[in-house]
Order: sequence, then C-alpha cells, then structure tokens
Amino acid sequence: MENIIEFKNVNFSYKDKQIFKDFNLNIKRGSFTSIIGPNGSGKSTLMKLIVGLYKAEGEIIIDNVLMSQETYKEIRGRIGIVFENPDNQFVAETVMDELAFALENMNYDKKEIKERVKEIGKLLDIESLMEKEPHSLSGGQKELVSLASALVLKPKILILDEAMDMIDNNRRADVLNVLTNLNNLGLTVINITHNSEELLFGDSIIVMNGGEIKDQGPTKELLRKEKLFKNNGLELPFVVDLSYKLKYYGLVDDIVLNMDELVNKVWK
Amino acid sequence: MEIKYNNVTYVYNDKTPLKKVALKNINLTFKEGKVNALIGTSGSGKTTLIELMNSLLVPTKGEVIVDKDVISAKSRIKNINALRRKVGIVFQFPEEQFFNLTVKKEIEFGLISFNYRISEKEKRISDALKMVGLDDSYLERDPFKLSNGEKRKVAIASILVFNPKIIVFDEPTIGLDYDSKKNLIKLIRLLKNRYNKTIIIISHDIDFVHSISDYVVLLDNGQVILTGDKYDTLGNPDVLKRFNLPVPKVIEFSYKVLKNKGIKMGYRDDLNDLLKDIYRYAK
Repeated sequence: MENIIEFKNVNFSYKDKQIFKDFNLNIKRGSFTSIIGPNGSGKSTLMKLIVGLYKAEGEIIIDNVLMSQETYKEIRGRIGIVFENPDNQFVAETVMDELAFALENMNYDKKEIKERVKEIGKLLDIESLMEKEPHSLSGGQKELVSLASALVLKPKILILDEAMDMIDNNRRADVLNVLTNLNNLGLTVINITHNSEELLFGDSIIVMNGGEIKDQGPTKELLRKEKLFKNNGLELPFVVDLSYKLKYYGLVDDIVLNMDELVNKVWK
Repeated sequence: MEIKYNNVTYVYNDKTPLKKVALKNINLTFKEGKVNALIGTSGSGKTTLIELMNSLLVPTKGEVIVDKDVISAKSRIKNINALRRKVGIVFQFPEEQFFNLTVKKEIEFGLISFNYRISEKEKRISDALKMVGLDDSYLERDPFKLSNGEKRKVAIASILVFNPKIIVFDEPTIGLDYDSKKNLIKLIRLLKNRYNKTIIIISHDIDFVHSISDYVVLLDNGQVILTGDKYDTLGNPDVLKRFNLPVPKVIEFSYKVLKNKGIKMGYRDDLNDLLKDIYRYAK
C-alpha cells in the first residue's frame, strides 16, 4: 500500500533547539498507527509538521502533495486534528453549533450540515450534549466534542494528539473501537499517545524518543520487544506485560493482546 | 484535620433557566492522613465537590466543615486565606498557569499575600522544592524550559509552600508519561507517610487510583454511591461496572478467571502479586 505521509530528510529546530535531524517517516494509506514516546520525544512537533503549523527543511509529502507555502492549506483541509487541550478550540455557544461551524465555513447547505452533525452525534454517542455549552462540559465530554468536530469534516487523515487523556477508560475503548470501524472504511488514523493501553488498538506502532524513530512495525511485532519499551521509559499494556511474564514461566508461548484470550490460554 | 460534608447540595446557575444540580445531599467524611480517591464518570460532580472544600464554591444547601471552618451559604468564611493555607488544590494542567520567569518567583508568588519574612519565605520555597524531589539548583531556572514532569513538580511545590495539611490533586496524571507518573506516585506516598498530609485525588485513571489510594468515594450523578477502603470498592468489579466505571486491570484479570473458569483468586495489589497467584492456580 502507498504512503499517505512521507518525511524525507527533514530537519527542524525550535527556538535554537534541533528537534529533528535527517528525519524520515512513512505512514501507509488506510493504516491505524499509534505513536508513543515519553514527554519531549518530539511526537507533538511531528504532528504540527504534518499539518504545516511549522516550516521545516526537507520534503514532507502528505496525500501525494508536497508541503509548501502554496499547498499547506489544501493539505490541512484533508486532515482532522484533535488536540490535547480541547478548551482552546471551542468557538460556538452550543455543541451543535460547534460541530456545524466548520461545515458552514465550507459552504455546505443546511440540510447536509444537519445530517452530518446528527450522524456524528450518534456515532460518538454525544446526542445528549448537543444543546449544551461546550465550555460547561466535563474534560472527557469536551474531548469527545473535539473529536466530533474533526470527524464531521470527513477528513482523509485523523490525528489525535494525546486527545483521550481525560476520557474515562471504558469510554476510551468505545471511542477507539469507533475509530477502528472508521479506519476499516478507509480513514487513516494516527494516535499520538503516552498511554500504552491505547497501543492495543490499531495495526502499527512507532516508538519515538529524542526526536528519533526508535522502531516502527506491526502492533504485535513491536509489543514483543519488551526491551525497546523499557529502554525508552515506556510501559507495556497490562495484558502484554502479564503475558510476557507468564511466557517466562512457560504458561503461554507468545504475548497475548486480549485479556479473555490470555485467561483461556493459561487455563486451557 | 476534619473534612466533612453535611447534607451538601450544589446547584450551578440556581434560579435561572440554566440551572444544573451538580451535587445532591452529600454526606461524607474524608480520612485524615490517608490517600482518599474520588472516582466517578465525567460530569459526576467530582470537581464541584473539591471546589467547595476551600470555598471556591459555596454550598447551595448544607455545610462543608474543614477543621473549624464552616463553609455554607449562611456563614461565609471570614479568613479565606487561612482556609486556603489548610487546603491546597493542584488543578488540572497546573503548569499552564505559570507566568514567572524563574522557579523561585513562581513558587514565591502564592506567598505574597501572607506577609512572611524574607528568610522564612526562602526556607519555605527551598523546603517545598525538596519535598517534590528538586534541589535549590532549580530556583533560578526558567519554569517554561523544564520537562513536563518537572513542571508538574514545580506546580505542586507552589502549593506545598503554604504547608497545607490537606492536598487535593485534580486529575494529576493527565499529560504525564510513564516515568513521570511513577515519580508522582512516589511523591504522593512521601507526602502521606513522611509529612502526614491528607491527600484527596480525583482521577479517572483507575489503575493509578488503585495503586495509590487507601479510601475510595464513588460519585455518580451528583450523589455518593459507595465509600470504603480500596478492597471493598475497587475490588468490587460488579459495582464499578454498574456505574460504568473501568475496573483496575489486576482486579479485572482475577474477575475474568472467576467468571470464565470458576477459579477464585485472592485480592491482589499489583501485577507481581497476581503473577504468583496465577502460577499457583494454573500449575
């Protein structure tokens, strides 16, 4: 499958500090990639480069378009972004208006706006919040509205930048399942996170540290590399950590990504 | 130092069309010298409940008692600074409120209204930094150039500088990576064990709550549903699931073993304990 995001020999400095040096990156079209790394590893800077918020040396190609002064707006129109602090993004007085806002700016007709807002409300189970004022919502609810605002524009690429920190664990799994379904329909998803449990969703993982990609590969393959996680100050998801240790005791023969499956493997 | 809620109700925008009942008839006593955790889904009233504790909000009905101070609609607090010296609240993303150019000035800022002597101020600042595991070399550093974990520590130090007896953390793990979270756990244990602080934590990170708490309060829709030690609360997956809350992973595994295989393992605190149990029961 072709790449939807490509970085070729990218150099980037911020306030005299070099963040990326000869940085290369490939993300496949239609993939669901988790990017994990400790605080300060360059994850969020990477996201800002993808959407053209910062200018870097080297080539950044998004959806077959080379990033430049002329193209960054076009590129940004194809990407939905959900930031870590949703408070900074809200402009409207109700959630419904918030979701309609961007669509209105893009001159969609009223009927389509109404349909899309309704559809996204149902998808993320936030219909009960539609009449509420975004700033009055709890942290987790704000994050869901922020995600809905990105998805309502039907982007080709969705990037979440530590966007689910405040969502309850149960709800987070529901949201990640919704994103998995959208990914199956063709949406490329990039989830930037420091929560290792979120790595169990998606098909590939990139581990970053100190502005470098330490490793990249299919989810299960990367999760087998316990030392990679340890050396980069990262935690493995609970079920992976447990199965890794049970493997040492000879109770399972490989890591397992699902708790029910692990129980059934230990007690055959 | 007692923290007690007597029949507390709180209504936002009362007597307006935007009226919203956030807390209903809360009766609750937090445990002194322990780590108390408040859990509940988004919008259950957790943050409102702690904002009543140092009079950022005043109950619509009922009273909150902190030490000898009574916070109620009828009796306004006379010396609010004294109350806020007793209860320090570390809000979500506290480092986003930084605006001074050195760590020292950032921590000192909160002391301005308290009229301490210069020598006492300096000692307090230095002690507060020490409590969070940072030394005096940080005093002249630019807080904006610190790592996220260090920023969070400075923000906590700026609360500890008052030497509050009660420290409230609102979603302290948000934005922290694995190492910073481990350090935070150590710091909270230190504050409880060495400095005998009463800690109150709001967190939706149930595994973090499980690793650190002694006493747990479950809130749902503005009401207290359950209180008790963590074995009776977090060790009870059926109750947590009923209120749409996640179950700590260690507990969830034992629960699945019981449900799927009919094997009852004991309550286990962490993965290493669980591992020994699994080995014993599976071998």
